[in-house]
Amino acid sequence: MRILIVEDEPDLLSGLAQALREEGYAVDTANDGEDGFYKAENYNYDAVVLDVMLPKMDGWQILARLRKIKKTPVLMLTAKDQSRDRVRGLDTGADDYMVKPFDLPELFARLRALIRRSANQTTNLIEIGDVKIDTAARNVHRAGKLMELTAREYALVEFLVLHRGEVVTRTQLYEHLFDENDDTFSNLLDVHVSNVRKKLGAEFIVTRRGHGYCIE
Amino acid sequence: MKIFKSIKWRLQVWYGLILVAVLAALGFTAYQLQRDLLMSRIDSELQRRFGVIADALHGHGPGRGRPPFDRPPSEQTPDYPPPRDQSPGDFLPPEERQPPEFHLPPQQYALFDPREAHQFYYYILDREGKEIGSSTNSGAPFVTITTKLPGEQNTAPDLSSGRVPPPYHFIGHILPSGETIWVGCSIAPEMAALNTTAIKLAIVSAIILFFGLAGGWWISSRAIRPVENISATAVKISAGDLSQRINSADTESELGQLAAVLNSTFARLEASFAQQKQFASDAAHELRTPVSVILTQAQTALNREREAGEYKQTVEACQRAALRMKKLISALLELARLDAGQEQMKRLRFDFSRTITDSIELVRPLADARGIKISTELSPLEIEGDSERLGQVVLNLLTNAIQYNHDGGEVKAVLKPENGIVILAVSDTGQGIPAEDLPRVFERFYRADKSRSSGNAGLGLAICQAIVAGHGGSIDVTSRENAGSTFTVRLPAPGRPA
Repeated sequence: MRILIVEDEPDLLSGLAQALREEGYAVDTANDGEDGFYKAENYNYDAVVLDVMLPKMDGWQILARLRKIKKTPVLMLTAKDQSRDRVRGLDTGADDYMVKPFDLPELFARLRALIRRSANQTTNLIEIGDVKIDTAARNVHRAGKLMELTAREYALVEFLVLHRGEVVTRTQLYEHLFDENDDTFSNLLDVHVSNVRKKLGAEFIVTRRGHGYCIE
Repeated sequence: MKIFKSIKWRLQVWYGLILVAVLAALGFTAYQLQRDLLMSRIDSELQRRFGVIADALHGHGPGRGRPPFDRPPSEQTPDYPPPRDQSPGDFLPPEERQPPEFHLPPQQYALFDPREAHQFYYYILDREGKEIGSSTNSGAPFVTITTKLPGEQNTAPDLSSGRVPPPYHFIGHILPSGETIWVGCSIAPEMAALNTTAIKLAIVSAIILFFGLAGGWWISSRAIRPVENISATAVKISAGDLSQRINSADTESELGQLAAVLNSTFARLEASFAQQKQFASDAAHELRTPVSVILTQAQTALNREREAGEYKQTVEACQRAALRMKKLISALLELARLDAGQEQMKRLRFDFSRTITDSIELVRPLADARGIKISTELSPLEIEGDSERLGQVVLNLLTNAIQYNHDGGEVKAVLKPENGIVILAVSDTGQGIPAEDLPRVFERFYRADKSRSSGNAGLGLAICQAIVAGHGGSIDVTSRENAGSTFTVRLPAPGRPA
């Protein structure tokens, strides 16, 4: 899962980015409105955490322009806590709204909910054969046994599961599993797929040659 | 009782009392006039009959010898029996001027018709007080005289046992010849008429009183309504709804003017409350971001075990956020003190150009770092005030001029006297301030640059303005975009009233 954070306070941006990376997300950052909109427009993020008060272009403008071209889930993050601000945020097309100062676990939960909803999932528990994925606890059980997956491996499984039945291209996977700082030209993806197959069964991820991967 | 504390009720009670008094006086007067009129009529009737009897007694009046009025006596006889003959025993032998025994001429019977409501009667005494004639008719109500007049002409005969319905009215006179004639009548019809008049007056008064009170109620309600409006609005306002205004259409009346005064007071109150609310909300808003930083950094750091270097970074980020809050809180406190007028400005003479030079030395490293040139044009001018606070203003303006300048730009400070005031102008060659932001730059928390990456809360210029205003001066700004801004401070020259 790849997330964009647009926030102009550097310490808040770095703290948030670190926290989300440690949660297993691929995180891109932008510290002003123009950069934020450019990134949101050019990459397919699973969610955007957007501050309202930004230099160059404020959160409302970014949201309004983004909504014309994309349905990326957006969580507005703002110091404005009045009801009319929340109403405005939601009406402009924000999917959720959080007021500073916020609690990190709550932010994580809301982001998970946003991503789940955008993938048309209603619960945190997904079962495929004897494999059970808990997107809230971020763990995977196979035949009742907890499987040890790295953050990247888990992210790969989660992304494929949330797009169950669809063929996910390698480009998509690169886009959603690696952030702007990763070297996407490595064969890291093949290594992760191979490791997941070892842990969850060779048939768990199906390779569609020339197209990509799929969980059926 | 509550009802008597109400102005409306009190007005109504007073109004009612006055109305009742006026009506009572009018009614009483009307009653008296009517009574006087009736009595004078009766008096003139009695006078007429007196004349008739006096004439008849001495044979030269209209009675004797005069032809019957309109009916022959024969016709009158059955209706009007002649006066009762005096028994001879009652009769005294006449003296020299013995008055004749009296008989009412038949043509005058009509005047003493006992069937007539007034039942006129007469009573004649001779010089010795003996009765020589009376109208006491058989079959008619009569008066029995129980006490003879003892020759005192003014004393009325005792009529208490008479059958003429009381009350009575009569006149009595002594003729030159010595006889006393009493003529009287019942005034029961007049009394009845007066009673009717009194009842009519009472009914009319009651109707007038009713409409008067109703009208008074209407008028006092109308007069009181604006007060009730004002009171209702004031109640709502005291309940916390400051947006309420008194709805007053007329602005000419005293109450209308009061409503206008109150409305403008409410408006000022509301504006001041809104400003306070905005200020508090802005202050909270400014604190939210640093608190978010601390919370996010701390929660992230605590999520798992970390190396010393990472902890250090987290603590540093927290420190920066805390310092920002400290700065904000000091600025807020300072503004609050300036607002409350607690911060007493010193009033000392000092060389303002010296203060400016000192401030420039403080910011020079900042300017040098960005290749910004500071030029000055300072007349050595003394002003009266708080050198520390005014130095703060100068420092703030210089810092802004450097911060919002482009690298290698210029900052110019000019101090000069003009028309008895001291003018300090600080100009820069920076990005300028957009025209739409110009009127708002001195507002609290206002930043033309919406981001908070600069670390400024937007209180600096507001504090400058408060300090300058505390010295009786003013501060304003002119700006051209991409050409620079000029902040001008005007202070009163020393020795002049602020």
